[in-house]
Amino acid sequence: MDGYTVGVLTNIGLFSFLALSAYVLLVAGELSFGQQAFFGVGAYTAGVATAMFGWPLAAATAAAMALGGLAALLVGLSTLRLRGLYFAMATLAAAEMARILFELLRWQREVNGERVGPDGAQGFRGIRWVFEHGMEAGGFLALIYGVLSVLVTALLVLERSRLGATLRAVGLDPEQAAAVGIDIHRIKLGVVSAAGAVAALGGALYAHHNTYVEPRNFDIMLGVHALAYALVGGLGTALGPLLGVALDVGVLEGSQVFAGYRMIVFGGVVALLLVVRPRGLLDEQIVNALTRRGWGLR
Amino acid sequence: MLADLAQNTLDGLGAGASYAVLALGFTLVFGVLRLANLAYGPAIMLGAYAATWVSLHAPVPLLALAAITVAGSVAAGAYVERVCFAPHRRARAGSGPAGAAAMAAMVASFAVWMQLEEAATLALPRHLYAFPPLTTGPPLSLGPLALRMETPIGLGVAAAVCAALWWMLYRARFGLAVRAVIERPAAAGLSGIDVSRVSAAAFAVASSVGGVGGFLVAATHGQVTPHLGMWTTLKGMLAMMIGGLGSLPGAVAGGMVLGVLESHSQWYLGPQARDLTAYLLLFALLAWRSRGLARRG
Repeated sequence: MDGYTVGVLTNIGLFSFLALSAYVLLVAGELSFGQQAFFGVGAYTAGVATAMFGWPLAAATAAAMALGGLAALLVGLSTLRLRGLYFAMATLAAAEMARILFELLRWQREVNGERVGPDGAQGFRGIRWVFEHGMEAGGFLALIYGVLSVLVTALLVLERSRLGATLRAVGLDPEQAAAVGIDIHRIKLGVVSAAGAVAALGGALYAHHNTYVEPRNFDIMLGVHALAYALVGGLGTALGPLLGVALDVGVLEGSQVFAGYRMIVFGGVVALLLVVRPRGLLDEQIVNALTRRGWGLR
Repeated sequence: MLADLAQNTLDGLGAGASYAVLALGFTLVFGVLRLANLAYGPAIMLGAYAATWVSLHAPVPLLALAAITVAGSVAAGAYVERVCFAPHRRARAGSGPAGAAAMAAMVASFAVWMQLEEAATLALPRHLYAFPPLTTGPPLSLGPLALRMETPIGLGVAAAVCAALWWMLYRARFGLAVRAVIERPAAAGLSGIDVSRVSAAAFAVASSVGGVGGFLVAATHGQVTPHLGMWTTLKGMLAMMIGGLGSLPGAVAGGMVLGVLESHSQWYLGPQARDLTAYLLLFALLAWRSRGLARRG
C-alpha cells in the first residue's frame, strides 16, 4: 500500500469511532451534537499521558476512555431529562464549552529538554509515542483496525442480546419501554457514558496518529459529520456507521474525482438519501431481512 | 468604571439588535417546523455573499445590497426547505419510528449547509471579503459615552421587523393560517389550510427576516467570511433558546441579553470568555430551567 492509501484508510478507521459513538446514541433515540468533545477529551488525555508523563499507549488510552466516559456521564446527568432538540442543543453547548476550555488549557512540562504539553489555541505538539516506539504507519493502521474490529464485534454481539433489544425499545418508544418496566434513565446514562468512552478511544488514537492536535479540530463540524455518517450508513447495525465513513472519506475524498466540489456532492447525496431512507442505507428493515433469510443467524 | 459599564451595555444592545432579528427568523422557522434548521445561517451567508459579489463588481447603494442579501437568503432558504424539510413533512405525518423523520431532516439541513458553504467559497474563494459598512462617520458622543450609529439603526430595524412580524402573525389572514399550522398542523389541514404551502411561505418570511439580520451583521462588521453561516445559526439559536422557544418577544429579549452579556464578558474577561459565557448560560438555562427566560402560554 502506498502512503496515500494508508492515510485514507487510517482516517476511515479513526472517524469510525466517532461515528459509532453517535450511532449508539441515535439507536437509543438521542441526537447529540457534542460527541466531538469526548473525542477531544480522549485526544488531550492520552496525549498528556504519553507525551508529558511517559505512559505506555495502552494505559494512556484506558485513561482517555475513563475520562471521556466520566465527562459524558456528567453531561448526561444534567441534560438527559431534556428531550429531543433540547438535549441536542445542550450537548452542543457543552461541546463548544469544552473546545473553548481546550483553547484556555496551558499546561507544559520539560521532557528531555523540550517543553511539551497543551499550549492553548496553539495546540498540543509532540505526541510522538508511536514514532518513538518504532511503529510504522502500516503498523498503527493495523492497531486501529484491530481495536475497531473488537469494538464492532462487541457491538454486534450486544445488538443481538437482550440489552440490545432493550436499547432499541428505549430508542423507538420510550414511554412504552418505561411501561414494560425498563429504567430508561439508567439505560440512557449508560449509553451516554459508553458513547463518550468510544469517542475518547477514537480521540486517543487520533492524537497519536497526527502527533499534533489543536482545539479547532474538535469543532461542531466534526460532531455533525459523525452524526451524518451514522445516519447515512444506517441505524440497523453497527456496520452502518462504518459504511457512512467509508462513503465520504473513502469514496468521495479518497478518489479525488470531486476535488473542490466534494462537499456539494456529499451534501446532496446525504440530503436526497435521507428522503428515501430516513434511517440510512443499512436500516433495521434491511438488516432484519438479511439476517433472517440468508445468513441463518436466527 | 460606571462609564465602562454603560458603554458596554450600549455596545451590547447594538450587537443584540442583530441577534434579535436573527432569533426572530429562527423562531418562526422553529415554530412551523418544530425542528432546528441548521442551514438557516448558511442560507443567509449565501445571501450576504451574493451582495458582496455584486458590490465587488459595481458600486451599488446600501439599500440595494440589503435587498440582494434578503433575496439571496430567501432563494437559498427555499432550496433548504424543498430538499430538507418538505419531503420529511409527509413522512412525519405517516407512521414510522418516532423522531426518525425529525432526525433525518435535521441532518439533511446540515448536509445542505455544507453545500451552501462550499458554493460560497467557490464563488468567492478568498477567506475574507470587505462588505460596505453601514455608516462611515465618527460615533456620536453623549457625554462620556460614544454612540456608534450602528446601534440606533440596528435597534430601529429590530423594532420594525418585530412589529411587521407581529402584524403579519396576529392581524393578517395569512398569519392566522401560520398560527394554525404552528398549533395543530393536522387540524389546520382538515380546516382547508394548505399546510405545505403555508409552511413554505412562512419559511420564506423567516428567511427574509434572517436576511435582514445577516445584512445588519455583515454591514456592522464590514466583512464577510464563510464562517458567517455557522456563526449566524449559532447566534440565532442561542438567542432563541435564551428567550424561550417559540416566542417573538422572547426572541428579542434573548438577542438583547446575549448581546449585552457578550459585550460585558468580552470587556472584563476577554474574547474566549465571551463565547464561554454565552454557552454556559445556554447550558445552565437548559439544564436547570429547560425553557429559557420566557415561558410560552
